[in-house]
Amino acid sequence: MKPASFEYLRPESVAEAVATLDLYGGTARILAGGQSLVPMLGMRLMRPGAVIDINGLGEELGRIEARGSETTIGALVRYSEAETSPVIAERLPLLGTAIRHIGDRQVRNRGTLGGAIAQSDPTGEVALVALTLGATVLVTGPGGERELAADGFFVGSYANTLGPEEMITGVRFGVVPSRSAFFERGRKHNDFAVLSLAVVATPESDGTWHDVRIGMGGMNDTPVLARAAAERLEGARWDEAALAEAATLALRDADPPEDVRASAEYRAHLLPIHLGRLLAGLAKEPRHG
Amino acid sequence: MDELIEITVTVNGTVHREQVSPRMHVADFLRRGLGLTGTHVGCEQGVCGMCTILLDGDAVKSCLMLAPQLDGREVRTVESLAEGGELAPVQRAFKEAHGLQCGFCTPGFLMTATALKESGRSLDREEIRDELSGVICRCTGYEGIVNAVDRVLNGDAVGVEDER
Ligand SMILES: Cc1cc2nc3c(=O)[nH]c(=O)nc-3n(C[C@H](O)[C@H](O)[C@H](O)COP(=O)(O)OP(=O)(O)OC[C@H]3O[C@@H](n4cnc5c(N)ncnc54)[C@H](O)[C@@H]3O)c2cc1C
Ligand code: FES
Ligand code: FES
Repeated sequence: MKPASFEYLRPESVAEAVATLDLYGGTARILAGGQSLVPMLGMRLMRPGAVIDINGLGEELGRIEARGSETTIGALVRYSEAETSPVIAERLPLLGTAIRHIGDRQVRNRGTLGGAIAQSDPTGEVALVALTLGATVLVTGPGGERELAADGFFVGSYANTLGPEEMITGVRFGVVPSRSAFFERGRKHNDFAVLSLAVVATPESDGTWHDVRIGMGGMNDTPVLARAAAERLEGARWDEAALAEAATLALRDADPPEDVRASAEYRAHLLPIHLGRLLAGLAKEPRHG
Repeated sequence: MDELIEITVTVNGTVHREQVSPRMHVADFLRRGLGLTGTHVGCEQGVCGMCTILLDGDAVKSCLMLAPQLDGREVRTVESLAEGGELAPVQRAFKEAHGLQCGFCTPGFLMTATALKESGRSLDREEIRDELSGVICRCTGYEGIVNAVDRVLNGDAVGVEDER
């Protein structure tokens, strides 16, 4: 057995889980899908005093709810469920597409959306989509419930603004622009991304595009918005010159890391090429239907 | 010492009541606790897929679950496939389509393929490759494996019965 010893606890409600996190004063960890936590326990990168298994809380945390213009996904919804959910296909197609790029079937059968947001992997697809779509992270702690904008939630590599005694209960999305596109380049099939890109926008009948948001994964310590590029395209016609300018402007918001997967230089090389292609593809799609 | 946790789990149709350490992962529990060594262990960090089992019908990597998480669940391992000394159709397909060489990865592929077959989905070869990408094979180059799974799912079998 490779992990260090820990207490294994199975709360029966979110309230009990949070009370337990509080009791352990920040030394306990939530166990959701375990696709990141269990390897970290095995490598002793984490030695929590207690592991709080929330897999029994499907009733409270396992729902996908569409209410009015809002879609709320419970923290314990697994990737595979999201992948096949008609609600997500209809309301959040970008999320459905991005999730297919995560790990492999086995990982997607266990991994959860709440776990992905908590893990805050700099190349995480769910974090990138949450940021790009301006989602809200729903959090419960000893002090009650909090709502945190995804923009500002991710503060570093594997770091976020969640308190050690808090847990994520879900993520909420509002109305999203009508068009979206996603691209990912990894070293091998379904590996963590070297570069991932998410674009959303709404085309108007006069040929201009609005509500433009561009998210970039793997280009910084966290997923980031390509603000300068989006500004260039907001309210504009997406002709070749505009797209080429925007693709280059994306580099302004990037500070690519150097790691085992790719050099900073290679990442910076890939960004304008693939963003240019992704935007051009979106601009070429038929406007209706 | 770790505090042991009592679990009740059904493995390959047999109900087991066992005391397990929370630090033990499910692959070790199956192999050491129950003696079911058909589930192989490669990396113990979720990347090789050797340890794939079916948990309530879904393919999962058993090195990424803690033994107490099995409480109340239904598990199937590669030992569940053959009945009365007769290979299951998925196993025969691997044999006939040269889906294995050393065989170390085979339990992982067989269980992944079993879940695919039971899902009732019909997949093209590209989709089959995608669905199998969680298991690594160092011998075959995958072509034989994809051929075997293609036969199982799509039934264009030479000497392999279609189970549907
Ligand atoms: C082979 C492999 C390939 C992978 N590829 C990718 C990939 O391409 N892209 C990608 O994004 N990920 C990938 N992953 C990671 C996977 O997506 C994880 O499932 C995810 O990062 C964490 O989700 P989980 O539910 O498994 O969380 P766990 O592993 O259970 O937990 C991860 C962390 O989050 C905390 N946590 C979990 N849930 C909550 C909650 N509700 N509230 C507060 N804290 C919580 C835990 O305490 C822990 O610190 C891969 C994993 C493997 C094994
Ligand atoms: S041993 Fe479980 S994935 Fe490698
Ligand atoms: S047959 Fe040897 S690893 Fe696959």
